[in-house]
Amino acid sequence: MIRLENIQRRYVSDEVETTALADINLHVEAGEFVAIMGPSGCGKSTLLNTLGTVDRPTGGKYLFGERDLAALDEKDLAKFRGWTLGFVFQSFNLIDELTIEENVALGLAYRSDAGDRKGRVAAAMDKVGIAHRARHFPHQLSGGQQQRAAIARAIVGDPKLILADEPTGNLDTANGEQVMNILGALNDDGATIVMVTHSPAHADMARRRIDMLDGRIVASAMRAM
Amino acid sequence: MNRFTLLSLYRSLVRHKLYAALNIGGLAVGIAVFLILGLYVRFETSYEKGLPDHDKTYVVQTTWTLANSPINGTFAWTMGGLLDQMREDFPGVVGTRINGGGNAGSILAGGRATPVDAAQVDANFFQIFRLPLVAGDAATALAQPGNAAIDEQTAHAYFGNRDPIGQTLVLSMDKVRTYRVAAVFRDLPKNTDLKLSVLVPLTREMGTENWYHWGSTNLQTYLRFDTPAAARAFEGKLTAFVDRRGKELADVGEKPSSVQQLSLLPLADLHLEPQGNDSSSAKTTVVTLGLVGVLTLLIAVVNYINLATARAGLRAREVAMRKVLGADRGTLVRQFLGEAVLTVAIAALGGLILAELGLPLVNAAGGLSLTLPYEVVVPALVMLTAVVGVLAGVYPAILLSRFPAASVLASARSPGGGRAGTRIRELLVIGQFGLAIAFMIGTAVLVAQTRHVRATDVGFQREALIVLQSTADSAVPKDRLPSILTSLRALPQVKDVTVSNAAAGGSGDYNSDNVPLPGVAGPGPSLKWELVSPRFFETHGTRLLAGRWFGDAYGKDDVYSLDQSKGFNIVINRRALSTLGFASPEAAIGKTVGGDRPRTIVGVVENMRFDTPRKALPPTYYLYYRLPEKIGTSVTTIRTTGDPRSAMRAVQALWQRMMPQVPFNAKTADERLADFYEADDRATRLFGIGAGLAVLIGCVGLWGLASFNTQRRVKEIGIRKTLGASSLDIVKLLVGQFLRPVLIANLVAWPLAFFAMRTWLAGFEDAIPLSPLFFAGATAVALLVAVLTVLGQSLRASRAAPAWALRHD
Repeated sequence: MIRLENIQRRYVSDEVETTALADINLHVEAGEFVAIMGPSGCGKSTLLNTLGTVDRPTGGKYLFGERDLAALDEKDLAKFRGWTLGFVFQSFNLIDELTIEENVALGLAYRSDAGDRKGRVAAAMDKVGIAHRARHFPHQLSGGQQQRAAIARAIVGDPKLILADEPTGNLDTANGEQVMNILGALNDDGATIVMVTHSPAHADMARRRIDMLDGRIVASAMRAM
Repeated sequence: MNRFTLLSLYRSLVRHKLYAALNIGGLAVGIAVFLILGLYVRFETSYEKGLPDHDKTYVVQTTWTLANSPINGTFAWTMGGLLDQMREDFPGVVGTRINGGGNAGSILAGGRATPVDAAQVDANFFQIFRLPLVAGDAATALAQPGNAAIDEQTAHAYFGNRDPIGQTLVLSMDKVRTYRVAAVFRDLPKNTDLKLSVLVPLTREMGTENWYHWGSTNLQTYLRFDTPAAARAFEGKLTAFVDRRGKELADVGEKPSSVQQLSLLPLADLHLEPQGNDSSSAKTTVVTLGLVGVLTLLIAVVNYINLATARAGLRAREVAMRKVLGADRGTLVRQFLGEAVLTVAIAALGGLILAELGLPLVNAAGGLSLTLPYEVVVPALVMLTAVVGVLAGVYPAILLSRFPAASVLASARSPGGGRAGTRIRELLVIGQFGLAIAFMIGTAVLVAQTRHVRATDVGFQREALIVLQSTADSAVPKDRLPSILTSLRALPQVKDVTVSNAAAGGSGDYNSDNVPLPGVAGPGPSLKWELVSPRFFETHGTRLLAGRWFGDAYGKDDVYSLDQSKGFNIVINRRALSTLGFASPEAAIGKTVGGDRPRTIVGVVENMRFDTPRKALPPTYYLYYRLPEKIGTSVTTIRTTGDPRSAMRAVQALWQRMMPQVPFNAKTADERLADFYEADDRATRLFGIGAGLAVLIGCVGLWGLASFNTQRRVKEIGIRKTLGASSLDIVKLLVGQFLRPVLIANLVAWPLAFFAMRTWLAGFEDAIPLSPLFFAGATAVALLVAVLTVLGQSLRASRAAPAWALRHD
């Protein structure tokens, strides 16, 4: 489903050139659950952002299915994200002024196909067990609940790919477990997930683990089922 | 804009109530100030524009350019017979005349005289001033000498529900005469200087002896032209006309047109056009207050943009999230513009409400009667909302939609527009506070000058002085004057009584002539002269600088009984000393000036300022008439023993007993002089209100910005404290950061205020010096306000525990 060929990402400031990604080659099949690990600054988040099209590579090719994403302009990329991707962040990134229900519905806000929005929002909230908090505001919820709401927002549009950037980084062990269980269940239902994590235990829940160092993939291993 | 955008805007406003109140409230106040001052400017510039064909009507102006004359200047008055001579020389010229208007007559009914806005006009008046008639025929209304046209209000007051046509009314104007009402016209609008309620035909018999005397100005002449070009073409012929017709003017100059010119002024320009040698206070006031309105709005808009952009940074995360969810830049720009327009719309509505609530106060402070014309205000506000909304929304919209989503979402901190954003905000604060400080300086100078004018020595004792103008009414038989004066003197509340042709408050005649100096060629300087009768200086409490008062014991004092070519005595004022070339008051005593009418100076008195402080005080000499009834325009001045109000009641009772057919017209000198200060006082009050609110809005902006910056620097504060900074260090850091733009703002404010105030003060003869204290004071106030504004927040931030601050994002 995803094919990265020789992806590079360089940041150029006044005097220093930093290579965040160097010749990344990666294939992700539909239905896979991939965990990316590595020390801070190794390029994990940059890789995830590149997959999520919120960061553009400075070289290489990014094919999503048959589509070459390098050929899309900003507007089409925005549309692509809205229709195809779901994001989960370490710091939840819920909008403070909207209720949980409204935050989840925001996942459909920039799409024209939404159909039964209410039903889809309710279903998404049900799936992550947050329906009873629908009318609350983010600051009224625990971290774990907020992250579950963020996952509901990510899945409400049935994305082809879910990108999770350290989804358990801000959570305690129990809440972290809960979130990982939800992601696992989603994957069992067929969702494709790419997740950045620092936790080996959580990485072990993925089917494939990729280790990065200095902007390169240094190891890629399938978990024995 | 989708539903969530609206929802999130609404909740954001509700959640950050203080921010919303400051942001929207500040803008609403700015809009209200702009609206009210805009209404004021609109009203002041709308004069005569409600009259039909005002754009085709021109008033003939007379301009005097005599050598050193106190009467030089342009006046909207002409000689009575000017129009007759114009018709002879320019067949086809269409014009009409108005003599009087504004309390110039009185209606006698039931044994009482009531002042009325009466005027004598030409029979063709309604052909030039096409006032809508309620009854009667415009062509014939004033065709008969005994006809009158009255307005609806007068018709209602005197005839109730009866048909006024054919009714009679007795009008005293020069003479007492009965008129038959032949037409009723609609009441004139408020925004007109034509104060006309009763119109009667103008006849030569009623005119003055100066009807064809070039050099006299005694009524107003209006001409009608279909196009401005036709008016200009006609104006071009007037110099030759003056030279041809005004031969008598050549007495004082070589060519008549070198001392007097005629010009045309569009009717609508008359209201704000300065008359004579007045400095143009009306125009300056209107322009200044209009500017205050625009600048206050500008400050409020800047404020809004400043707060909006500062706050926008805090929303970076939301924007990034929306981008990730599929919103493109266009959608986001539209969202932010929409939000801004919506917020400004709320502020506009608030501004409208504030304006409606504040209008009665402003009307009271400014002596105005403004109302909000919704048919104008609503479209104007809609336009304003669109413009300000886009202005205020475009920068944050573009700024925010540009944030790189990936880095914003990954980092704990929100971008605030970077260094450029901070720079821009600082510049905006400088501009805003610069204007606010300039406003403060302006208000201080205005208040100081108006106070100074009120308190300044007018050269006579203005307290406990009553000016009774009724004795100058032509309806008072001259032979009754002595008995009136005797009765007035007999009142226990009256200490002294005198009669003159000019009195405190500027009423009466204004005459001047040239006084040839011995041994100096030419006609000599032009001096104002006033006719006074016994006890004039004593009644006024004037200070004698040298010589003596007038007195009946001196044979050469009573000018009326003398052959002027054989010489007579005069008293001069201090200003005349230098005009006539004397080094000191003593040096003038006993000297004779005046050529073929030799005038010997027997006294020098302090300058008496009867007129507006905006007019140059003229060099004046006084002539003495032993018999007050011989003075043509005989205004009476009364010195009372105690409270002038009780004296006023006694004088009124006496007047109504002796002269019931003549309206009682009297005011204290204080009241009459106050009328001169009133316009400036009002302008000062309006300016003060506008400026005060502008300063307030500026402070609101500073407060908002300070709170935003402090919030953004919480982590920095934590780090500094961990490294050993004390709370005081932190307060110093934060307050210092805000004092810098406020200090720089002074560089903007000082020159601005200096030039503006110098120009304004130039309009006063007796102006206060532009002391540096005004500038230093305003700066001190601005600094104090700025420190107080940011101090509270800085203190709170400085006290925060470092551990909490470090965790804060």
